[in-house]
Amino acid sequence: MISVLPITIGVLVAGGVYLMLQRGMVRIIFGLALLSHSANLMLLTIGVTAWRGEPLVDRMDVATAADPLPQAFVLTAIVITLAVTVLMLALAVIGHNDDTKRMPSTGEFHDR
Amino acid sequence: MNANMLPLFVVIPLLASALAIMIRGPIPQRILMIGSPVLTSLGGLWLLFEHRDTPVLADNVGAFPAGVSIPLISDTFTALMIFVTSATVAIALWFLTQTGEDRFRFIPALSLMLIAGVNGALLTGDLFNLFVFVEVMLLPSYALIAITGTWRRLGIGRLFVVVNLTTSTILLVGVGFVYASAGTVNLAELAGAAQESPSVSLAISVVLLSLAIKAGVVPVHGWLPRAYPATSAGIMALFSAVHTKVALYAIYRIYSVTFEGAAPWSTVLVVVVAATILIGAYSTFGEHIMRRALAWQMVSGVGHILIGLALFTQFSIAAGIFYMVHHIITMGSLILTSGAIEQTYGSGRYERLAGLARRDPWVSAVYALSLFSLVGFPPSAGFFAKIGLVQASASAGAWQAWTFITVIIVAAIGSLIASQKLWSGVFWGPQMENYRPDSPRAGRGRRVPLPKDVKVSARLAAPGATLMLAQLAIFIFAGAVLPVMLRAATALTDVQPYVEAVLG
Repeated sequence: MISVLPITIGVLVAGGVYLMLQRGMVRIIFGLALLSHSANLMLLTIGVTAWRGEPLVDRMDVATAADPLPQAFVLTAIVITLAVTVLMLALAVIGHNDDTKRMPSTGEFHDR
Repeated sequence: MNANMLPLFVVIPLLASALAIMIRGPIPQRILMIGSPVLTSLGGLWLLFEHRDTPVLADNVGAFPAGVSIPLISDTFTALMIFVTSATVAIALWFLTQTGEDRFRFIPALSLMLIAGVNGALLTGDLFNLFVFVEVMLLPSYALIAITGTWRRLGIGRLFVVVNLTTSTILLVGVGFVYASAGTVNLAELAGAAQESPSVSLAISVVLLSLAIKAGVVPVHGWLPRAYPATSAGIMALFSAVHTKVALYAIYRIYSVTFEGAAPWSTVLVVVVAATILIGAYSTFGEHIMRRALAWQMVSGVGHILIGLALFTQFSIAAGIFYMVHHIITMGSLILTSGAIEQTYGSGRYERLAGLARRDPWVSAVYALSLFSLVGFPPSAGFFAKIGLVQASASAGAWQAWTFITVIIVAAIGSLIASQKLWSGVFWGPQMENYRPDSPRAGRGRRVPLPKDVKVSARLAAPGATLMLAQLAIFIFAGAVLPVMLRAATALTDVQPYVEAVLG
């Protein structure tokens, strides 16, 4: 049971890095999503080395409850990654076409 | 100032940001946009005076017991950074009002959010909270980098987002490692932990690596000279004042608190810092666009600032902090003046500009004095900043002294020649014949003959000139400024008061 999380993390990192090295923006986004999932799982393994009880005061003995702090970390990290992923998907739609070498004619001049 | 007022540095810009979305008129938005950083900057100044008597102010937010709560901590270093970054941000935003960019929807709100994140990241004493505030700082930046943009800026926005999200993931993993190995992410509880335990040292190193990417230290600097010059000058000045500097501040703080002295691997730091200085300075040669050249100089400046940490004596840290303050102000001045020139003549390329020394003598004088500061000539703050670094190196161990003094001087020669290339391209030579006037619809208009009366207007040049005067003031009052830097350095070399203030 203990080796499940590390193996999952390894697979996620490998897939994430592979996808991030691709050209298309959408693949890079999927790669980043995998990578951030692996980071979240890594945070979970910090507090949970085996399956433990819910960290609720009064309901659970402290000795058997999980560490709530990494769970709070993960929650925060998930929210941030979600927001950035949405923004990146928007950039993928409105930015360059992935293989375009020339600028589209938008009426702008590019002479910095 | 009461320690309970520290959260106001985050709360005021955030509230102003919310108000700036609801209130749409140009005047109230400008008041909010420039007023808030001015207010936090004055707050920083007040804190600076406060810290002469009480070295550390700590507030456990939400009145949770110490050790459980997230602390906001201010000492001389924090206060100095808040003062300088907020003031520079205010001036960069002033420039945005002059180019009309602040009339883009959401620019006031986003830049205020940015300030909230910056102040939070400077004040927080908790590693995970640092990650959150860095994200609060970055999220508006993702929008700001492309919002005033042309098509090209969207592409750069992609690069910026991808690099920063990857880096943030590494930072998050590093913070997780710290929690796993040390059992806490409270910086005060981590004091000296990395010196005692190799696993904590490794975990802290992962955190420092991610911050080094955000700062633009050499093997991982590639994104900075690509991303920054591609946005508009006002936004670049905003970013250069806060992003890399917050990362550098965090590196200084985390390194000095967790290692309580030099790290076992500080030799690596020496090599990396020397490479950063040289590569930044000599890569400037390859550029033909003003702000791209400046971006490489920013990389070089990051290296100079980190010398303070690589040597780790009280004087070297003070010199590093002095360099950081000088660098924020000088870079702001150069970027904003370049922006004023670009806005007026429609290009920042050396070969498209010529003869500005005769056409705009005042702007040229401002630019020249700022370039002096960049290279390290008197009369400028850069002169004392470089002297300080050389002196600090000279008093360090033998081989570090040789390395750093050589690197600083060789890099200064490189920067000097690269600045001369910029100067002879832009400011000397025959008068230009045509230019691209600013166009509200297309960004830049078509190339047309340049009339005699088109000059860089005083209102566009004023923000850059103000920052240039600020660095001249540092040159003149260096004697009054240096004790502040020394006190800031003491806060880093002796972390005991910091720990006591937080943990009680």
